[in-house]
Amino acid sequence: MPALSLRKWISRILSLSALAVPLAAPVQAAPTAANLAMIAEPQTLDPMGTTADLVGTIMQHVYEPLYTFDAKWNVVPMLADGLPKVSKDGLTHTIALRKGVKFHNGREMVADDVVASLQRWMEVSPRGKSVAKEVASIEAKGPNTVELKLKTPYAPLLAQLALPTGMAAILAKETIAPQLKDFIGTGPYKFKERKPDQYTLLTRFEGYASRKEPASGYAGKREALIEELRFVPVPNANTRVEGTLSGQFDYADLLPVESIGRLDKAGASVVPIMTTSFGFPYLVFNTKEGVLASQPLRQAVQMAFGPGEMMAAAFGDTRFFTIEPNHFPQGTPFYSTAGADKYNQRNASAAKDMAAKAGYNGQPVRILASRQYEFHYNMALVMAEQLKRTGIKTELQIVDWATLVQRRNDPKLWDIYVTHSGQFPEPMLSPPQLSEGAPGWWSSPAKQAALSAFNQEMDPAKRGALWGKVQQVVYDEVPYVNVGKFNGLSARAQRLQGYTPAAWPFFWNTTVAAK
Amino acid sequence: MLRFLLARLGGTLAVLAIVAVMVFALTRLASGDPIALLLGDQATAEDIAQARVQYGLDKPLLTQFGYWIKEVAQGNLGQSIFLQRPVTQALAERAEPTFFLATFAVTIAALIGIPCGLIAAVWRGRLVDQVFSAVAMLGASVPSFWMGLILIQIFAVWLGWFPASGYGDPGVPFIERLHHLVLPATVLGMLNSALIIRFTRASVLDILNEDYVRTARSKGLSERVVILKHVLRNALVPIVTVLGLTLALMIGGAVVTETVFNLPGVGNLVVRAVLRRDYPVIQGTLLVIAAIYVLINLAIDLIYMIVDPRIRV
Repeated sequence: MPALSLRKWISRILSLSALAVPLAAPVQAAPTAANLAMIAEPQTLDPMGTTADLVGTIMQHVYEPLYTFDAKWNVVPMLADGLPKVSKDGLTHTIALRKGVKFHNGREMVADDVVASLQRWMEVSPRGKSVAKEVASIEAKGPNTVELKLKTPYAPLLAQLALPTGMAAILAKETIAPQLKDFIGTGPYKFKERKPDQYTLLTRFEGYASRKEPASGYAGKREALIEELRFVPVPNANTRVEGTLSGQFDYADLLPVESIGRLDKAGASVVPIMTTSFGFPYLVFNTKEGVLASQPLRQAVQMAFGPGEMMAAAFGDTRFFTIEPNHFPQGTPFYSTAGADKYNQRNASAAKDMAAKAGYNGQPVRILASRQYEFHYNMALVMAEQLKRTGIKTELQIVDWATLVQRRNDPKLWDIYVTHSGQFPEPMLSPPQLSEGAPGWWSSPAKQAALSAFNQEMDPAKRGALWGKVQQVVYDEVPYVNVGKFNGLSARAQRLQGYTPAAWPFFWNTTVAAK
Repeated sequence: MLRFLLARLGGTLAVLAIVAVMVFALTRLASGDPIALLLGDQATAEDIAQARVQYGLDKPLLTQFGYWIKEVAQGNLGQSIFLQRPVTQALAERAEPTFFLATFAVTIAALIGIPCGLIAAVWRGRLVDQVFSAVAMLGASVPSFWMGLILIQIFAVWLGWFPASGYGDPGVPFIERLHHLVLPATVLGMLNSALIIRFTRASVLDILNEDYVRTARSKGLSERVVILKHVLRNALVPIVTVLGLTLALMIGGAVVTETVFNLPGVGNLVVRAVLRRDYPVIQGTLLVIAAIYVLINLAIDLIYMIVDPRIRV
């Protein structure tokens, strides 16, 4: 075959591949829409149905609670007109509601909506169910007043009502059903459409009645400056990073800490966001069955642990974690160093002695962890090595997250599991081991005494000191080990302005410039 | 012909019945609890048990299977636990990106693979053959996630020609959605073209040694007519098979590529359903994928008959 024919063949192939070129135009987005890359598809859009952060992050734009948190984590009113009037015995909370607040269907919010919503919250929300145990009654006292009566004084009540996850959201009464079909709230954005694994669309609610106070954290004035919010599920962390760098996303949530270098070098178009004290990894001990049901052995294990090494393995860059014994950051009401002498000991020989005295006979400690969060896995590896150094045998069980959340409910299957939580403003919101019945099944007279005093004290100043006593019991009885604190990394496009870093990112009071 | 079709359709139903049993059994044998995931960390064992009743997951497995099969027989694949919609609707929403991605990718694979394989065979042993064979080897060895990330880096981040991920903003025109498919389809097309190159080359080499090719040349036909009319047409049977199976595999979900490019396709649906243990979605989707795979195999057999009259029964 002549050489000319070969060139013809090649030129034909090239001409076919050139068909793609006319499509190669830059992407244009509507100027008043923001593309927000989230870590997953929300499990549900029912704000009460789950305590998942993602659901709270999205639906806090649609629904509002009676109270919320300001920038200093103080509980302040949102749909309530002010803080409740509390009776002298601390049992009766009278809540005045704001007038003129409209639902997305145009109807004004009244006390009946609040009562029906809170009753549903106490029936379906895992968080609400724990509050329900404390509540004697809720009733409407006129169109704009709700009265909530407690069985015993319960100080975390307002914080529970304020949290965006497993939210005590106020729903339009007529939409309340076991499975929500219409998502009608009072928030600055209303629900428009959900295409699973593609997007959840919210649009500006023109009839929104904003508070008048200056914006502060989740509190104060809320203004829907962007017309449309598109929450796009992007589970692959690398894809979130690349999408941010290419300008496709206006905001990307929870990026891997390794990407900080690339984000820093991206120039002015991308702004990395570090949220300090974003969360804490913690290691839950099975206090009910198995080798670690022995408290002295749990204390030996705590003595063997070096949280510094674990956090370094988990997060690498020292800008992203802090190693400190206080469960709450310095400057917060619950900052305490109680039990600090038992933190980060990393003392293999002392741990070995303690284990021997505890009667340890070589049973393996089963460590349950998942690679769903790579830092859990890295911490589990380090933990296993630290225990081996003290002569304690370990058995790593690395499973996917769905398996872990199932197995942790069975006390026969594990001894330690690795998990993490957001850093919440109220101790009773997390970890769940502070309540009764959560995996780990921690229950003791010292726990009950410390928590009872803490939960029944209504004076915020005194509660701070009482938390120190609870923290001391945690270090003494070792139901879990709070390993340290990590910072969250996310990023925004330069054109997204006015964004305030937050544990549950929100996009009211935020603008987006045209591309 | 009719008997052949009826026999194959009977076989198809038998295969699907086996698939249904296996999918159900394997799904339930795997550990993990969708309800514990759905409710979140604060849910107690009591909350989880209560919700399991609501979703019918407290019933014995045989009862659950019987109920599912009954629903499937009526065309209902069940209700997703996480997506709050029927599985058929979730599948229908994923069908478009997956179908266009698969078609686009197979077209690219064919456009690259068939000419290159043909050229490599015709110029066997020459530089062009060695280059194409090396490219085919490389293509078969490169992981799709790696190639995907490289293309994203070059064409989305550096050049900004194509979007890095997704299937377009809400309400964008269809051409914009195709624009989102260019990079993932290129990845899949290039990787699969390696296989097509090798099959085409081997098939053409076989045909080039046939007597009728020698006869055609001796009749004085131009080389172009000999290659395109006598060689390529007869070499198409195995190539059509490979293309068909590639298409079937991609419609079943190009799992890794859809994940890297965050395409809301069938592959992504299955992966996320497995991670969440969304049983109805896993069962329904795998059953539909199996049905598609079996039907495409049937279609390939029919195409054989058209392409090669000797195969007709």
